[in-house]
Amino acid sequence: MTIAITRRAFVLGLGAATAGLALGLERRVAAGPGKAEAPATTVFSPNPFIQIGSDGSIAIVCARSEMGQGVRSTIPVIIADELGADPAAIHVVQGDGDVRYGDQDTDGSSSIRKPYEQLRALGATARAMLVTAAAHRWGVPEARLAARDGAIWDGKRSLPFGALAADAAKLPVPATPKLRPAKELRFIGKELPLRDGPDVATGRATYAADVRLPDMLVAVVARPPVLFGKATKVDSKRALAIPGVRKVVELPTPAPPVNMQALGGVAVIGDNTWAALRGRAALEVTWDAGEHGGYDSRAYRRELLAAVRAPGEIVRSVGDVETALAGAARKVEAEYVVPHLAHAPMEPPAAIARVDGGRAEVWACTQDPQGTQEAVGAALGIPKQDVTVHVTLLGGGFGRKSFPDFAVEAARLAKEAGVPVRVQWTRDDDLRHSSYHTHSAQSLAAGLDAAGEVVAWRHRIAYPTISSTFKAGADHPSNGELGQGVLDLPLAVPAISMQTGAAPAHTRIGWLRSVCNIQQAFAVQSFIAELADATKRDPRDMLLRVLGPARQLDAAGQGVTDLPNYGMPLDRHPLDVGRLHRVIEKATAMAGWDKREGRALGLAAHRSFVTYVAVVAQVVKGRHGEPRVEEAWIAADVGIAINPDRVRYQMEGAFVFAWSNALHGAITYERGAVVQSNYRDYRVLRMPEAPRAIHVELVASDAPPGGAGEPGVPPVAPAIANAWFALTGTRVRELPMLPRPGTR
Amino acid sequence: MSTRLAAIVTLAACGSSTSAPPPVAPVPAQPRVDPTALAAPAAFERIADRAERSRALFAEMGKVLLHPRCVNCHTPDEAPRQGDDHELHDPPVVRGSADRGVVGMQCQTCHQDHNLELARVPGAPGWHLAPVAMVWLDRSPHEICEQIKDRTRNGDRSLAEIRDHMTKDRLVGWAWSPGWGRTPAPGTQALLGELAAAWIDTGAECPP
Amino acid sequence: MIRVTINGVERELDVDPEMPLLWVVRDVLGLTGTKYGCGEALCGACTIHLDGNPVRACVTPLHRAKGRAVTTIEGLSATGDHPLQRAWVDAGVPQCGYCQAGQIMTAAALLAANPAPTDDDIAQSMAGNICRCGTYVRIRTAIKTAAGMK
Repeated sequence: MTIAITRRAFVLGLGAATAGLALGLERRVAAGPGKAEAPATTVFSPNPFIQIGSDGSIAIVCARSEMGQGVRSTIPVIIADELGADPAAIHVVQGDGDVRYGDQDTDGSSSIRKPYEQLRALGATARAMLVTAAAHRWGVPEARLAARDGAIWDGKRSLPFGALAADAAKLPVPATPKLRPAKELRFIGKELPLRDGPDVATGRATYAADVRLPDMLVAVVARPPVLFGKATKVDSKRALAIPGVRKVVELPTPAPPVNMQALGGVAVIGDNTWAALRGRAALEVTWDAGEHGGYDSRAYRRELLAAVRAPGEIVRSVGDVETALAGAARKVEAEYVVPHLAHAPMEPPAAIARVDGGRAEVWACTQDPQGTQEAVGAALGIPKQDVTVHVTLLGGGFGRKSFPDFAVEAARLAKEAGVPVRVQWTRDDDLRHSSYHTHSAQSLAAGLDAAGEVVAWRHRIAYPTISSTFKAGADHPSNGELGQGVLDLPLAVPAISMQTGAAPAHTRIGWLRSVCNIQQAFAVQSFIAELADATKRDPRDMLLRVLGPARQLDAAGQGVTDLPNYGMPLDRHPLDVGRLHRVIEKATAMAGWDKREGRALGLAAHRSFVTYVAVVAQVVKGRHGEPRVEEAWIAADVGIAINPDRVRYQMEGAFVFAWSNALHGAITYERGAVVQSNYRDYRVLRMPEAPRAIHVELVASDAPPGGAGEPGVPPVAPAIANAWFALTGTRVRELPMLPRPGTR
Repeated sequence: MSTRLAAIVTLAACGSSTSAPPPVAPVPAQPRVDPTALAAPAAFERIADRAERSRALFAEMGKVLLHPRCVNCHTPDEAPRQGDDHELHDPPVVRGSADRGVVGMQCQTCHQDHNLELARVPGAPGWHLAPVAMVWLDRSPHEICEQIKDRTRNGDRSLAEIRDHMTKDRLVGWAWSPGWGRTPAPGTQALLGELAAAWIDTGAECPP
Repeated sequence: MIRVTINGVERELDVDPEMPLLWVVRDVLGLTGTKYGCGEALCGACTIHLDGNPVRACVTPLHRAKGRAVTTIEGLSATGDHPLQRAWVDAGVPQCGYCQAGQIMTAAALLAANPAPTDDDIAQSMAGNICRCGTYVRIRTAIKTAAGMK
């Protein structure tokens, strides 16, 4: 049977629907996973996360964004395990942006570590009420009853949750339910299935651009090459002549600071993506670059280095470093440079919006649905509670999709067009208009005494701060950024000074997976290996020596006034040097460190997001003399691992992500604009460059859960750089290791 | 960015390919007005010695044969090259047993039969690598000349067939319309064909 | 009108012949399993089969598929039980999942041509499929598992 589809019929959604009905294909007209409405039979919902129907159906909400870390496979399991439901029998609902879900920011590797106790309490609350309902029904004491497999049990007899739901709903919600003892947990900490695996493997998984609405149009935006640049002349004649192009709309330029605003540009709206792409290519726009039109990253690099070659503002101080350096038997100094990086997730940002009168409905691959409600509300001039934000799967985030700009664009254009609009970011949009990892220079100087002990440590740091995105003129790293490997670095050194220099921002600086840990761990862990070489010590021994003995540190012990500690109280998540020792010992044992003759190994270890990770990498030379990582060993202490497979896999994936950044990653600027435009000049690691094997072991622990998504990144670049030194005698002080011609 | 500027300059210059040198003795054997231009056979008629004229004609052809658009697919090993600096092709591809890549990464997995401007991917009918025997990368004009004449290394072609291949083959012709941001080979395909014909007529001599 | 068979069903499409197959399958036909990652044949997220051979849909014009058979991830198997799909699910290969349809389509062609690929064979054939989450090692293992299943 031949299906004919005419051009007229296929304004998006219509033609496909016709074809779909004829063939019986699934029709994804409304939202994919975004609908957080309760199943029709819900009678018991003691909190917004749990809905139990009279038919026994159990829906549990995952209110954090899924971008590969496995939250959808983990968060509902925490709740289900505590509740007493079999995770295989529950329906997972992706939560819309809603203050009732609490903090939905999916960033900072916080989706488990921050709400863990509350997530368990949510399940425990529902369990307690179902137990009470059953106890009343049977006339027995509650202490006899158990909750498991979706039912309450009294010995051999049971009542399914569905049968108790209506009664439970009438009971008061306990404020402090009792959590299950660890031995009663059946799923937390075990090997859990990947919930979205079958959908991904069959192409059914719904990402932002997969959402299709009737009459939807597609927009592609020509963007100002330089931050805060504006279009001074727009000729849309040729664009409007492209078949399928409907309209050209100029978007407003934000006033600094960027904050959560969209960046402006000229949008081409068309019937479908191809028309919009062709339309944008046919636009003739003259851009005025504005204040950042002179940004050149090669020149800026020199400014950063100048900033760290002079004394800066002191952020951490112990003893008198200058005297100690002057009196040292030997001095070792090194400078380290890390360029801007782009997240380049496989899914470029995309969002769909539908605006009807005073309400807006948005589907977006967002890491921050409540922030998106706020930004869309502000852009449209409507209250944020009148903005519904559905969260699709994210094809990678890494921090880019914490910014709601692409959703704001969709909302503006949907309002302008009067029909739903999908804004599709292209790959060059993504690389040229990102929220970049900062560009940094660091200078480290250590004084060694006659016995080779480190008696002085001076660290000077300069990079444009993320604060600049939110506060015009901010030009020194914030406490939060310095708390990522500078303020919190354990050092058994009697004289320490850490200083920051000024670095104005000329682009939108944001968060990229592990953030300032990237450059700060790169510099520190590389430098410690340089000190090992200078004193002819084994690098592992030197690292343990410099970190100092196993101990727990507080701000005073660190020589600072305040330790951000990733938003966690120090008494729950102390700065525990012993745990760092343990992962160093474990990773080096895994790698056969003490029997490494004939292999070039490098070591680095770093605490971030209250998790401890040590990495050993083995490098060889590739076919063209380039660095190749042959094998890697990773030891991670994340405290309790709720979903050990996903935690190990996050460490493994972080290794590849970080190696990609270190080998290839660089975003550079000329005349204010990003040079790179696609994977041809922003190269990323491919299968042939992946290690032969990556071994990950988790330290068994009862400590409260730490982060899993980001901590695997920071130790990787220095471990590889240290291994390269072991192989070649060449120090890598500047990344990437394989810069593209003309970029440095 | 500089590649794009260079392309514009090159395209602008390409039309002016047939200026004869001023008649001043001594006349250089290889008259050149513009390094991006290609001289027509007529410009070599003043070279009296037939063999010398033949060698000069081949040297002029060499401006095309040694151009990056040509040598990037006339490589000695597993990989094509790309760009004017002969970088390794990215994404990384390997030759395969039939000079057409391996499963999943065949030339025509990505390359079409025409250039794509939006996607910036070059294309021409039958996109593939020249066999290893026809390596030109890092070879001298002498070596290339010998290879072109050698039936065991030129696809068993007569000289007339070589001339036809150069003049008519569409993949060869791509070198002069390479698409987005790529500097074209000098002259035109027709002109290369005329030079080849003249070279053959004068005995198909190879430069030293 | 261009006649193409898509996942076993013959269709006549009155669509711009230059429109890349990626947008034909996604926007015209609503088959959204094939993904947009770069638009320039650099990332492999858009990989489909044309008469069984992998091509990058983002750069393959509709007219190249005239009279031929296109297979997308939705058509790789009737019930999601291609050995690669089973291996992918069993091993928990996906992280964000966005690249995986393209990975599977390339791997399927590899195994169809070479039922017992070496690690080098796998690396060479899969080099065009980027994964930013870093799932390469598990992909490689899952391909070998699927090869053993056949």
